[in-house]
Amino acid sequence: MAVVTRRRVRSSLSVTFWYAVLVLMAAITVFPLLWIVLTSLKGPEDPIFSVPPQFLPGHPTLANYGKVLDTLPIGSFFINSILVSICVTALSALVSALAAYPLAKMRFRGREAIFYLLLATLIVPVQLTYIPSFVLAVNVFHYYDTILALVFPSLASAFNIFLMRQAFKGVPNELIDAARIDGASELRIWWSVLLPIVRPSLAAVAIFTFVISWNDFLWPSLMLHTRENMTLPVGLAALQGLFSSDFRSIAAGVAMTVIPILVFFVAAQRYFIRGLAGAVKG
Amino acid sequence: MVALGRLLPGRRGRLAPTEARHGSRLTPYLFLAPALILVAIFVFYPIASVIYYSFTDYDIITPAEWTGLDNYARLLGDPTFWKALTNSIIYLIATPILIVLSITLAIVVNRQLRGIHIFRALYYVPAVSGSIAIGISWRWLFDRNGFINSLLVSIGILKEPVAWLAEPDFILPIAIMLTVWAGIGYYAVIFLAGLQNVPEELYDAAEIDGANSFQKHWHVSLPALRPQIVFVAVISSLAALKVFDEIYVLTNRTGGILDAGVTVVFYLWRQAFVLSNAGYASAIAIALLVVTLAFSIVYVRTLERRLETD
Repeated sequence: MAVVTRRRVRSSLSVTFWYAVLVLMAAITVFPLLWIVLTSLKGPEDPIFSVPPQFLPGHPTLANYGKVLDTLPIGSFFINSILVSICVTALSALVSALAAYPLAKMRFRGREAIFYLLLATLIVPVQLTYIPSFVLAVNVFHYYDTILALVFPSLASAFNIFLMRQAFKGVPNELIDAARIDGASELRIWWSVLLPIVRPSLAAVAIFTFVISWNDFLWPSLMLHTRENMTLPVGLAALQGLFSSDFRSIAAGVAMTVIPILVFFVAAQRYFIRGLAGAVKG
Repeated sequence: MVALGRLLPGRRGRLAPTEARHGSRLTPYLFLAPALILVAIFVFYPIASVIYYSFTDYDIITPAEWTGLDNYARLLGDPTFWKALTNSIIYLIATPILIVLSITLAIVVNRQLRGIHIFRALYYVPAVSGSIAIGISWRWLFDRNGFINSLLVSIGILKEPVAWLAEPDFILPIAIMLTVWAGIGYYAVIFLAGLQNVPEELYDAAEIDGANSFQKHWHVSLPALRPQIVFVAVISSLAALKVFDEIYVLTNRTGGILDAGVTVVFYLWRQAFVLSNAGYASAIAIALLVVTLAFSIVYVRTLERRLETD
């Protein structure tokens, strides 16, 4: 009896302890963004710096949001970001899934060589390519200052090809052979037999690619010059320059751009975490 | 035709998947073509070009002029480059910190507590918010008029606010803290998935053998997480070697006082796109490639073995 009670006390103590740890961690992770949101609602009389720190706005206002919206085309930033991320995601998933099929399921001359060639691109820092890609964008493809410049260079992802190759490898050969006997073309097999089976991996690839593309900064900042053509991260950086010491307005800009992606993440969270988990199997 | 394909023996004596049904040897290449064309244009051509530019005087606008090894000679004697390289290598300290903290977090959240899903989602917030947005929020936390100063002055640790990001000694540590802070939740999810594949019996067995809870994780969890540790080590150290966004935002495009926060990629960007020294920047890019290759060789071997055995 005594033992049981003691154990129960110990376990409820330990549950409390773990909740304390979890809450502390959550506070640390969420705080900077929470501070941003609270600051964005502060009026001109509310101090940013004060002893002790003031958390809640004393005179809450949406004026900072209005100021940002009057100065910068936040709406265009959103549309551009959405367009770029959707195009990159859809096309990159398509290109990777196409390339992964022969790498996983066909025997042909040069397969190993192509595989290692693609593997090698994983370690090449992408920034290495920016100078020639910049020259290509200006002189050859003429897509400087358009969002096309963000789409094409991001389509070939060795990482996505490997994820898809792993997924295709898990599909039994018998299914493919059966389809072949039924007279299906390879393209047909790929589309109607394989893709439906690997849908979870495809979803993981899509979500990864979307978030990376959504947050990409350096290359877009080199390519996008006109404000109306900017994506959100580039626009945010411009915002920081424009409102250099007006932290309330900068905070409003950050809040406007972060909240939608968080909502998207909460909605897609299950796939996201499953995808991330599935990407690295033991 | 079909039968012929099926007769070809596979590597392990299994029947190989057939080649294209119509006997077309081209089929696999057609599937690969879009990816290979894109890789050729946007990866291999640029690498070749950058190697060429690194031997030239080039400003992107006027044609490149061959200058032989001048850029590399300049690189060797350029203190800012060495500072940038040192900073980038110091940045690698983020990797072990991230691994330890995110495994710890994964072990903590890998228990059946009510509401655990909400916590897991919260830890993920920085990773999905984007480096520019979180960089800006950190810049203002550490501003002279920022929250950190408000807090530290209130509790009496500081007498006066400190301009943290204007102190050469603090820029890099703050940027590394930012990277770690933003990455913990992301990597913890990867480790969590690994932990959930560990059979419960292993922990029970360890307990019977008298292991305390630290020993249980040391002897059971860690070995089970080996593939995830390799993966995170690769991903996070490659990311650390090419850090840019954090430095750009925290130092407001300057690289910090005395270039204290300049990393290799930041220096590459400044030389190429601010100072129009694309030839010199190409030499920096080659240096970055060499460093990355050196770090990757060990990693890639491990990763490759893993991909092959799967």
